[in-house]
Amino acid sequence: MLEISGTPGNCWYAPGVSETLDDLEERINALRREIRQAVRARESVLARSLRAELRSAERAWDQALAVHEPVYEPGDETGGEPGHGTAHGPGRESAHERGDRHEAPGSLVPVREQVHQALTLLGVPAAAKMIVAVHAALRAGSLKGAQLASLRRDEERSFRTSPFARPYYLCAALTDRLSASRGLLAVSTWPLEQRVVGPLSPRVDFLTTAIRVAEHIMRMVGAGEQAPPSAQRLLSRLAHNIPGAAPETGRYGRGAGLHLVDAGTARGGPEAGALVVDGFPGSDPATVVKAARAELEVHAAADTAARAEIAGRARDRLQDAERLFGGTVLGLARKEASR
Amino acid sequence: MDRLDRLRGPVPPRPHDARAIAALAANPGCARRAVLDAAGVDKDATAAHLGYPAPFGQSPFAITRGNAFESLVKESGCAELLRLLRELLGLPIPLAAYTDLGDVGGNPSAQVRHSHTRKLLDKAARDSDDAGTLYDHPLLRLEIAGHSAYLEPDVVAFRLGGRFHIVEIKSFAVVDGQAEPDKVAAAARQAAVYVLALMNTLEELGHDPRRVSHEVVLVCPENFANRPAATLVDVRPQLAVLRRQLARMARVGAIVDELPPELTFDLAPDADGVPTRPVAELREAVRGVDARYAPDCLSTCDLCFFCRDEASAEGSTDLLGRQVRDALGGVATVTEALGLADGSLTPGEGQEEIARLLRLADRIYAEVG
Amino acid sequence: MSTLAALARLRAVHTGTAQRLATVRHCHLSERPMVFIPLRLAGEAAAPLAAMAGTDPGHPRLLVVPQPRDRDLRFAFAAELAEILLPYFEGLQKATETVERRGAEPYERCVDAPQVIVPGRGAVAFVQLLGRSTRFRRAEGPYAVHPSVPVLGRWLTFLAQRAQYPGSSLLLAATEALSLHWATGQSTLEDANLASLVGWIDPPPGMTGASAAREAEDPLVWPPAGPATDPGFDTEVLAPAIRAYEETRSDRAAARVAEAVRSQLEPTWRLMWRAIGLLGTLPAAPGAAARWEGDRTSFTGFAAQLAEGGPPQPKRDGAVGAASRLARMERAQASYDAQRAYDDPLVMAAYRLTGEAFTGTVVATEPDRTEGEGRGRKLRPLVTVRTTDPVRLAPGTRLGTPERRGQQAEVVAIDGEHVTLKIVKGMGRGMAATPGAVPEAGERVCYAALTDEFQPPASLPAPEETPWTHGGPPPEYSPADDEPEEEWS
Ligand code: SF4
Repeated sequence: MLEISGTPGNCWYAPGVSETLDDLEERINALRREIRQAVRARESVLARSLRAELRSAERAWDQALAVHEPVYEPGDETGGEPGHGTAHGPGRESAHERGDRHEAPGSLVPVREQVHQALTLLGVPAAAKMIVAVHAALRAGSLKGAQLASLRRDEERSFRTSPFARPYYLCAALTDRLSASRGLLAVSTWPLEQRVVGPLSPRVDFLTTAIRVAEHIMRMVGAGEQAPPSAQRLLSRLAHNIPGAAPETGRYGRGAGLHLVDAGTARGGPEAGALVVDGFPGSDPATVVKAARAELEVHAAADTAARAEIAGRARDRLQDAERLFGGTVLGLARKEASR
Repeated sequence: MDRLDRLRGPVPPRPHDARAIAALAANPGCARRAVLDAAGVDKDATAAHLGYPAPFGQSPFAITRGNAFESLVKESGCAELLRLLRELLGLPIPLAAYTDLGDVGGNPSAQVRHSHTRKLLDKAARDSDDAGTLYDHPLLRLEIAGHSAYLEPDVVAFRLGGRFHIVEIKSFAVVDGQAEPDKVAAAARQAAVYVLALMNTLEELGHDPRRVSHEVVLVCPENFANRPAATLVDVRPQLAVLRRQLARMARVGAIVDELPPELTFDLAPDADGVPTRPVAELREAVRGVDARYAPDCLSTCDLCFFCRDEASAEGSTDLLGRQVRDALGGVATVTEALGLADGSLTPGEGQEEIARLLRLADRIYAEVG
Repeated sequence: MSTLAALARLRAVHTGTAQRLATVRHCHLSERPMVFIPLRLAGEAAAPLAAMAGTDPGHPRLLVVPQPRDRDLRFAFAAELAEILLPYFEGLQKATETVERRGAEPYERCVDAPQVIVPGRGAVAFVQLLGRSTRFRRAEGPYAVHPSVPVLGRWLTFLAQRAQYPGSSLLLAATEALSLHWATGQSTLEDANLASLVGWIDPPPGMTGASAAREAEDPLVWPPAGPATDPGFDTEVLAPAIRAYEETRSDRAAARVAEAVRSQLEPTWRLMWRAIGLLGTLPAAPGAAARWEGDRTSFTGFAAQLAEGGPPQPKRDGAVGAASRLARMERAQASYDAQRAYDDPLVMAAYRLTGEAFTGTVVATEPDRTEGEGRGRKLRPLVTVRTTDPVRLAPGTRLGTPERRGQQAEVVAIDGEHVTLKIVKGMGRGMAATPGAVPEAGERVCYAALTDEFQPPASLPAPEETPWTHGGPPPEYSPADDEPEEEWS
């Protein structure tokens, strides 16, 4: 994806001496118009080259501007151009943003190590989004989803070059078809049964995630620490989707949604005095654990059987690397044909 | 069907997605659209080459928002969706199985994925409850004028009490129980396409198509939070319109037979895909099939600007919309209507009443205007 | 659509310019209207992207949310909008007049009221959503916002609700106001595009309305008037600018977003003032002033309610409230239609075409005719009118007339081109007609089966604005409800 560089210093386009800011602005506007015309006429080649021109003009504009006035870094309280009438201003950034930028504890730990920590805490395969959320909530970490994108591929490459050279690999969860499940990450040291995904496994893993997060919070509280609001928020979000786990809000069992017929239905609110976090009433970790266990109970037998079956097949048919990173497309196609 | 292939020219037919199929029902009276769609002609490219690029586009913000909401509903094995279905339809707790029909590894063809979908749906339709509940990304197929259209599956099908339902996830907000009616209607039209495709699939597999519910579950964000909420929407009316239109398209042969044999909408693209067909020639070809322009085309058909210009050049009263046409009692052209109004034209058979009204309107207008 | 309006559209096609549908202006036009053009981020229900607002054509205020997905920035936008709108609303509350009422306490009413003009229906809906998303916010506790935000939300909600009231001019959509007075040579769907509509009505020199309207459809020439932005603009200009802001959070990047949206808003800003100018060329209809009085009463009532600390408007009407509201709206619509017809022969023309009204010349009168005996004796003059209009009225139908608004007549008989009427109301107590009360032979008159039972302007506030302290129990408002936590995303 093309990114616009807004930071002077990495510019490689030298603005023409004669081009003033005004000229540049005019040119930028003209270019934008031409681009949109080209896009509308589906002249993609022309649009591309015009875009390239726009990029360099914008860079030139940025640089020219930098010559005119000092650059304000984010968080710089003294900066700010008055009179622009924008809703933006110094000090308006959210607390979340500030936290991201100024204190990033654990950022010296390699990404794979951080992901490993989060997965170990959960004990079930998880999507990047969940890993990031768990790590942020419970480890005050600052992983970014994008950092996880190529992780599995890198791990696979490393494994294939020198198998089992590392104490653990971040690997795939395996589907019923023994291929790598889209988007899930797991740890290679887990037993196969923990890494395969049967029809009920997503639900079981979700419930397990909720239990692990709740238990972690209980441990923190037990050790006299206060669970950070982000952890409480994560717990509430998970509890929201488990029957009996969220405080009685009338939400579970309330027909929400679009009122096509019965406009004017009265609606319940959370109980007075309940702690409210991010729109969800605060959840009690012990209640969450209890409720999640109750539902787990329902699915356990069927899920265990399905996992055992898939894991057995995986052991029979897959090589080491495939067992960790999933069967190949070719192998799958062959199997498909033979069925 | 090779006649349709000739009409399109030597390019693969344009795939129909649910949105496009739903739009087919928008102007069922238009032969031009029926023929072009049946032949799988790329109307968008045709309009652009004619010099009337379609005025549609989707903002990247809307796309991002739609994707983000969908993934929110579906994450963790559709945890949010399960909650909604338990609330709305009383889905029992044990029914929580989630199968991603799209997660087949690698990047296989639509046929392979469709047969995978069929296999699992067949199993689900045969088995009792433990076969599965939620089926994400089912790749469905619909026959459109003899062509198989594969529907890119961003829906979830789920099974409860032996019946299948379609879940449609849309990111427009429902605020205090109200949503924009246009958007709800569009969502219902699209969901109907999936319902029909699922019905046909079950029928092909020897099951009773009535096992697909005509009530779809529409999931939208509620109020201003990102929290999903679900509503049941009955899509029977949309299904009826869709069926009718598909049947019409199956009979498009009758229209096609009337067309001159050498007619084609081939854009004759060169090696780079740039059309080389002389524009005048293409214009004549397109004009060779009758259109029925209505202002609604402006939001539903790629050819709208072309057809509007055509209607305008013909002085057609279609240009002004249904309300005006109704008020004019169906008088077809502006000149004719104005002629009747100023009395320079003698009303034809059956036009006496509207002519009298127009003359009166003309007189009053002159009197007070 | 009436045949007349259809004919006007045909003529517009034929001549290439818009045709008049009204001889007078049926909406009130403030001396100092507040023009408000909101833009929304595509794909979001009510995430403001930017707005241009102000009462001075030369000095628009530009509000920008450089990252519309950021909740804090959105509320900063709302606070900034409040800075513009609240002083405008408050300033108009200062001057009041005393309204005397028969049999009731006199009350104070503001001599003027706010008028917010937005480009189109979409913007009205946006005002409503913006009001909904801000009026339940709180100034303290978690997710606190600036205290002005919930107040703004309640004003916006008030305006949006009032906009549904037929004939109200507190919140006007420019496209609708223009369409009420002019017919174009395109469909009503296309009329929703403000630039195209203004193009038809007032094309630039050397251009026909038709060609100006076509040109106006190009979003590169005329950016959409919002709240939706042009997808091409989103892709090519806005998305990169917002991304750059997201990455650096610098003022420079914010300024770039601001410049981008300014380019989209400025043409519409000029267009809005042109639209106001066009409406201003028409003389005001008498009914418009009367309805504006109703608007002022409503405004005064709402301001008082706000000052008394009433709760924010509920999310939904109860079932009973919704039904009575509907009935009220229907009555208001009928009365609004009647007033417009009596004010404007071009509007009346539509009723003449359907035979519900007619215009003609008085050929005979019996001005001093009476009915009844003794104390019950009343003056009931007869008037015979000759008309060529196709009258379709049954004997006994009650009629009103624009020439004598206080009077009502009844159809006695219709004989070919002759309609005989009996004046049954508004003749006074005397036994002889006052001069001029009964039309004389030769006079042009118009009668219509339209009843304008509009309340005398100095009546109580309309029921929907009844302060909760005086009215029936308002829907329960529970402060423990979940509103403040809604993310508004
Ligand atoms: S735009 Fe033209 S081809 Fe498309 S539906 Fe309308 S009339 Fe038919």
